[in-house]
Amino acid sequence: MNGRGRLLFWTIVLSVGMPFVPLLLWSFSERWFFPALWPQDFGLRAWGYVFTTAGSQILGGLTTSCLLALTTAAISLLVGIPAGRALGLYNFPGKRLVALVLIMPIIVPPLAVAMGLHLWFIRLGLAETFAGVVLIHLTFCVPYAIFVLWGVFSDYNPEIEEQARTLGASAGRVVWSVMLPMILPGVTVAALFSFLLSWSQYLSTLIIGGGKLLTLPILLFALMDSGDRPVAAAVSLVFVVPAFVALVASARSIGRRGLQGVR
Amino acid sequence: MIRPGFARTSFSRKLHVFLSVFLIFAGPVVPVVTGQVLSWDEAVSGARGQTVDWYMWGGSPAVNAYVNGYLADEVKRRYDITLRQVPVKDIAEVVSKLVVEKQAGKDDGGSVDLMWINGENFRTCLRYGLLYGPFADVLPNQRYVDWTNPTVKNDFGTPVEGMESPWGSAQMVMVYDRARIAEPPRSVGALLEWIQAHPGRFSYPAPPDFTGSVFIRHIFYHVAGSVDRWQGDYTQAELEQAAEKTYLVLRELQPALWRGGSTYPESPVRMDTLFADGELDFSFSYHQGDASRKILDGLFPDTVRTYVFDEGTIANTHFVAIPYNAADKAAAMVVADFLLSPEAQLEKAKPGVWGDFPALSQQKLPPQWQQRFADLPRGPATLDDVELQSHQLPEPPSEILIHLEQGWEQQVLKNR
Repeated sequence: MNGRGRLLFWTIVLSVGMPFVPLLLWSFSERWFFPALWPQDFGLRAWGYVFTTAGSQILGGLTTSCLLALTTAAISLLVGIPAGRALGLYNFPGKRLVALVLIMPIIVPPLAVAMGLHLWFIRLGLAETFAGVVLIHLTFCVPYAIFVLWGVFSDYNPEIEEQARTLGASAGRVVWSVMLPMILPGVTVAALFSFLLSWSQYLSTLIIGGGKLLTLPILLFALMDSGDRPVAAAVSLVFVVPAFVALVASARSIGRRGLQGVR
Repeated sequence: MIRPGFARTSFSRKLHVFLSVFLIFAGPVVPVVTGQVLSWDEAVSGARGQTVDWYMWGGSPAVNAYVNGYLADEVKRRYDITLRQVPVKDIAEVVSKLVVEKQAGKDDGGSVDLMWINGENFRTCLRYGLLYGPFADVLPNQRYVDWTNPTVKNDFGTPVEGMESPWGSAQMVMVYDRARIAEPPRSVGALLEWIQAHPGRFSYPAPPDFTGSVFIRHIFYHVAGSVDRWQGDYTQAELEQAAEKTYLVLRELQPALWRGGSTYPESPVRMDTLFADGELDFSFSYHQGDASRKILDGLFPDTVRTYVFDEGTIANTHFVAIPYNAADKAAAMVVADFLLSPEAQLEKAKPGVWGDFPALSQQKLPPQWQQRFADLPRGPATLDDVELQSHQLPEPPSEILIHLEQGWEQQVLKNR
């Protein structure tokens, strides 16, 4: 890394990392008044609340959130990859209409979508179930996944698949060994998008989940306007860490360039 | 700090707009006549083994700790009831959920067993027939409640009539730092003069924030020169006239407010932060013990104190209610009764626990319990019950509240 690269690297690390410093300090502070630059007293009251008083609630929320976000991300990919491929590689009548319909759940306020679907979900017995909440998350996640993968497939050269077939690869082998490695960065981005979107859903989870599914955002949002900054900071960190882990874990494959085909 | 049903944020406004639009398309909700209410014996025997899902504003770690700790343990031990708290940001979200469930014809097996509400959300629930009851009269611990008290009998001008059961009381108190101000202004009139004499050192959360809104009502009572007149019959013209005078006073106040009134704190939390950071010399809270609690939590300095105006400050009661389609009504009734028991109310009143003020009337309690309440450590900033209760003013009906909030937006906020 040369001097300029190093400067850029540290600028990014600082600008991304700095906002977490006050959060960390707040979560360990007992007393911190203006104009003190540093907390006057440190203590573990906030973390005590997170781990003991609200411990079982938060652990439950963490598990529920993870399961929901992983399921939603997986299904988003299952739908998004074929859809993105179709939209990226082929032209067909009504393509723009399809794009409009896909983008609808993003344009329409989520509150309207969730409330409108709630009535139907009650009638279908989906309200207050895990499946129902996954479905409502999918209405927001699937469009993003499709749009990301649409872009990926626009740059994709299917002739490479033909080359593989000529060399005797089966259809499954082509998907697994040719297509997936080539679009992997895009797939990771789409999965990450879906995971993070689902991870941060509050209102739709509340309306469709009806309090049966207590996710982390529900616990966090309820606490946010307490004015108890140490506790809010501690819960925020608990909320951020898994998302951060997901980001770091996927960073390698995002940073990697997809395999380039030979034209 | 405690804002059960009345956190009327811009978000809950938005929700109400969607709700009304939704109802236009979905057709009207017809309130049903509620059937027979369980007797106390039926409730106790049916409650065993049930789980109560209690939907409530979950913004206070102290309240959450009291509910998930003491209350959950006690109802488990005494009645074999599992108490499950469902924290929400704004109980209006839950009211909307119930409206939709009613629309969808989900008349039993509902997930909400108990909810912490009052004021406008209670009124909305009554209008759409979303509540089970009247159940409050059946609970044995009602005998300690003074139902003749205007702040208990009416919930913001709406008669309670047993459709919700009291849980605690709230009263507005002024908050100041003794280290900064030796002698705070003791009446609304004196406060207005103080603000003019000390520009930039006072502000209030922008209505419809509930705490900001209650400040406006104190000005309203002050300029109208009467409190009781708004409880009974008043004409629209009288209201308009008093409201106009209120806006005039508030407009005159604006240049002397924090940042010249060009902006307002968006919440009491923000106001408390500005106060703690020394930007403002006063804060106020719709909770008598909030300042002491904040001192204990290290959010306020030790020298912070509270006081009430000589003419009194506005007070109200917060309640719990049971939805019409609750799956576990029996257990919900038992929990509502336990909430009112002297033991639970005493625990709740401890400043280190929550510091919420009892919904029970001290006169109606047995002498030994009166003594225990009197002996409670009150926290450094909290006034005693006598001082507080002798300075209580009732809330005006919701119509006046809404009229003032909307008028404030038109005449004060936009007219600067």
